[in-house]
Amino acid sequence: MRKLKFQYRMQLSFSKPVNRHHFTLRCFPKDSERQQIENQEVKIEPSYDGGDKTDSFGNLCKYGVVEKEHSEFVVNVTGTVCVNGSQFQPVYEKHKVGMFRYHTALTKKGPTIENIYNKCKDKDLSTENFPYIPGISDADNIKNIENNEGSIEVIRRAYYFMNVVHDCLEYAPGITQVNTTAEEAATLGSGVCQDYSHIMLSLLRMEHIPCRYVAGMMMGEGASHAWVEVCDGEKWVAFDPTNNCMVDDSYICISNGRDAKDCTINQGYFYGLPEQVQEIHVLVENVEDEYTNI
Amino acid sequence: MKEEELYRYSDTVNELLARYGVKFGIYKNGIFKEQLFPFDMIPRKIGKDEFNYLEKGLKQRVMALNEFIKDIYGDKKIIRDKVVPEEFVYMGSGYLAQCEGVTPPNGIYTHISGIDLVQAKDGEWYILEDNLRIPSGASYPMIARDICRRSSPATFKNNSICDNRNYAKLLRKTMDYVNAGGHTVILSPGRYNAAYFEHSYLAEQTGAHLVTGNEIVVENDNLYFIDYSGRKERVGAVYRRISDEYLDPMNFNPESVIGIPHIYDIYRKGNVALINAPGNGVADDKGIYYFVPKMIKYYLDEEPILNNAPTYLPFYEKDMEYVLEHFDDLVLKDVAEAGGYGVVFGNSMTKDEKEKFIGMLKAEPRRFIAQEVIDFLDIDICDEGKVVPRKADLRAFVLMADEPMVWRSGLTRFSRNPDSFIVNSSQGGGFKDTWVLEE
Repeated sequence: MRKLKFQYRMQLSFSKPVNRHHFTLRCFPKDSERQQIENQEVKIEPSYDGGDKTDSFGNLCKYGVVEKEHSEFVVNVTGTVCVNGSQFQPVYEKHKVGMFRYHTALTKKGPTIENIYNKCKDKDLSTENFPYIPGISDADNIKNIENNEGSIEVIRRAYYFMNVVHDCLEYAPGITQVNTTAEEAATLGSGVCQDYSHIMLSLLRMEHIPCRYVAGMMMGEGASHAWVEVCDGEKWVAFDPTNNCMVDDSYICISNGRDAKDCTINQGYFYGLPEQVQEIHVLVENVEDEYTNI
Repeated sequence: MKEEELYRYSDTVNELLARYGVKFGIYKNGIFKEQLFPFDMIPRKIGKDEFNYLEKGLKQRVMALNEFIKDIYGDKKIIRDKVVPEEFVYMGSGYLAQCEGVTPPNGIYTHISGIDLVQAKDGEWYILEDNLRIPSGASYPMIARDICRRSSPATFKNNSICDNRNYAKLLRKTMDYVNAGGHTVILSPGRYNAAYFEHSYLAEQTGAHLVTGNEIVVENDNLYFIDYSGRKERVGAVYRRISDEYLDPMNFNPESVIGIPHIYDIYRKGNVALINAPGNGVADDKGIYYFVPKMIKYYLDEEPILNNAPTYLPFYEKDMEYVLEHFDDLVLKDVAEAGGYGVVFGNSMTKDEKEKFIGMLKAEPRRFIAQEVIDFLDIDICDEGKVVPRKADLRAFVLMADEPMVWRSGLTRFSRNPDSFIVNSSQGGGFKDTWVLEE
């Protein structure tokens, strides 16, 4: 188990004042089997009229409207999170994961992804040819995967697809946008965590494997992060295709959904025609710099 | 006095309908055109016993459809028990993930359903389509009957015809039953919507406010109607005539400018009723149609009273074989299309078209259903003074309050083209009054 301290700051700056600004924010980590949130504080400016909700994927949201004119909209979320060593979310109602098996507009395959898939679909993933999840330092993690009853084949497949995705994309911010599809990113050959995740989802869904997009934060300073969870029949197992590794206890989950659109951090609707700039700044640090075993 | 007495008023009635604005809007090549919805004076008559049978079957069907939608956005038992394959749910355009786990007031998803039926030559009735999203059309027979009564009161005095002027009452009851506290409004996209006449007419008849998106607003987790003086009054029920995706830019299509931001958030909390419930299109997909008889058995443990037209799902191998073998005898429908679009008859295709179509069918079997062509019973229409037989269907309206209610009338649409089976008003068809007889 690890205790992490996080700061999440989102600032929207408008070149001209806007009014009647409606928003839905989805940037609040919540309790789950893998993480417990302590003393979370949320500050949203300017003041607004609105409420809280849990969306259909179980993500926490705040929504509302800022009526008066403003040129800046700032959200600050801080808190501490205890993240478990075990990185799995059990699946209690298996017949309900079906929706994660199907493509969305963002994960739909095109010729490039089809090509990637055709090149790797017949790869022999038996133990001799594909040592099971190599390079994973967290022995507990592997033991946990094996002790659970899910399908090892699915996890091997997902792990291999993660390697493939990691290799077919160059990490380069600023080239792709929030609405770039998996196919577009794969064709460009570069992108950010969202694009890596979408391509991985696309490949997995071509095999009918239920998988979901996760938005969150990881240890360090910078932007928010995104990765992929795969259902092996019993549990969700998390993979980070951007860093080509299994997700461990240095990651904090914020939201999940079928794709990035379901996890939109800030959706807005306002009156005015300004230029707008969104800046997201995330800082995640260890509270106690050592592992505590439980 | 015979009903023929009524026919003398054909011109007057059509002129009055035009003057009242009984029109149907069509977008063609991006241009909005309004056209009159031609009314034929010869009524379609349905006997009392026959309609009682239809009524029973329609109630049963809508109850099962409502249970299905509740199940899909909740427990998903029908998927777990493999009665409906999940791809027909999740790949359908009507399924909205945003509706998962949301229960509408009183568990009603199908407040107003328009069920399309046809009668075959042997007298047997078949269900052609279930329209659950925003079925329109009730206003046309309502106003036509009203004008006919005025033109020839004696016809209605001397024939025992069920009075159909209660539609507004049924609708009001349906809306009041789920009202979460406050006014009832009918939300229209506005003047340029295809069914604007209906929106305004139903508002007038039910006493609901007719509003557009900028007249209602969400505040403090409630919905308010802003009147002409700027005063805000709470709204408890919205009969929305805006499709799901445009209803709320914060929850559905962010580009919608006719929706109400956050209306879905407060609906989720039970603070307002939306009629019909968002997401209910999951049950009116043409692919799902195939499974409705199975739903009736699954949820109600009853045998279906009304039959589907014999339908094949190329998704199932056995059905695909049948479809390829009997291609020329079948009508093929694209499940994603509506309004009479995407419907082709196997025997009307050229060899090339057929080959191309079969290629598509094999590549995307889930996208199509195939049906036996039902030999519709022709009904008489009056075409330029001559009585001629034409194909017609019947849209029956089922409203759901504490129990389902079937309107004892309906919209009979006919094809003006003698060779066509397609009766949709967007394809140039006309309509008739539907008389349900009292004896």
